[in-house]
Amino acid sequence: MPSFTISGHRFELDQSGVERCLQDRLPDPVHEHYVVVRGRRFPPKQVIACATGLDRADFTTHQARRILKRLGFVAARAARERQASEAETGDGSRSGRQAAALRPYIGKWVALAGPTEVLVAAETPQEVLGWLAQHERRAAYGMFRVPASLAEAEGAAPA
Amino acid sequence: MRFEFLELPGEAGTLFRPVVPVQFEDLEEAPQLCLVDTGSTANRFGAWLAEATGVDLAGAPETAVNIGGVTTTARHARADLTIAGLRYDAPISFCDPWPFGFNLLGQEGFLRFFRVTLCAAEGWLDLEAEQATRDSSRGR
Repeated sequence: MPSFTISGHRFELDQSGVERCLQDRLPDPVHEHYVVVRGRRFPPKQVIACATGLDRADFTTHQARRILKRLGFVAARAARERQASEAETGDGSRSGRQAAALRPYIGKWVALAGPTEVLVAAETPQEVLGWLAQHERRAAYGMFRVPASLAEAEGAAPA
Repeated sequence: MRFEFLELPGEAGTLFRPVVPVQFEDLEEAPQLCLVDTGSTANRFGAWLAEATGVDLAGAPETAVNIGGVTTTARHARADLTIAGLRYDAPISFCDPWPFGFNLLGQEGFLRFFRVTLCAAEGWLDLEAEQATRDSSRGR
């Protein structure tokens, strides 16, 4: 198992251990950098703080990203991605981008800041409301559950 | 005011749904994306929303209704909705269970208050408030 020294402490971390510690956590707001853990985007510092128990002030985003990339997680910058997608569709049409952005959240309750900007996804609407209150964020576009099937999208109840 | 249809991921391609963001009571941070349902006689919302915002349903009249293949208990009450910047007092059926992802905007609590133009070919809907809605919203 790879070992890392963070803020003077030695930790042994692996990908599955990091994934396990985040499985019941909702991602904090992503400002710029994120890593993808089981299809969800987390701020790198949240991931390392959760995996090590360290305070987020004890290390930098750069350190956290470097460690997580070494563990095999995908790391990216949200701002860069947004600019790219805006440049792609200068005519204002979403042309399938919204559906693509929502696809990873099928069956989940989501809160959206914009047509393709998912702030949080959770199993229940109460969790979504709790997250928005905790982080003082506003889902300007709205919240709803992404239907898990054609029947649900057309108004039939899930079986 | 114009709202673009919501694009949803579907098994055989993208699905387009006519939705409107609705602020429920004072829940400013989380507008509910509601489905416009011209076939629904009333607004049907999940009862979780009443509980989450402190709308008291104790003693509210109840009926059993069938929606989308589900028999649910609807408790009828009134609450403030803000749509397209206008806040008004609307009748709402709060349903439990509510296994749906969207709340429904129907005739009594929505279509009586707004004129709706739908264009599925281009994927948008326009809302224009009735004069009575604008008048009652001014006092709120």
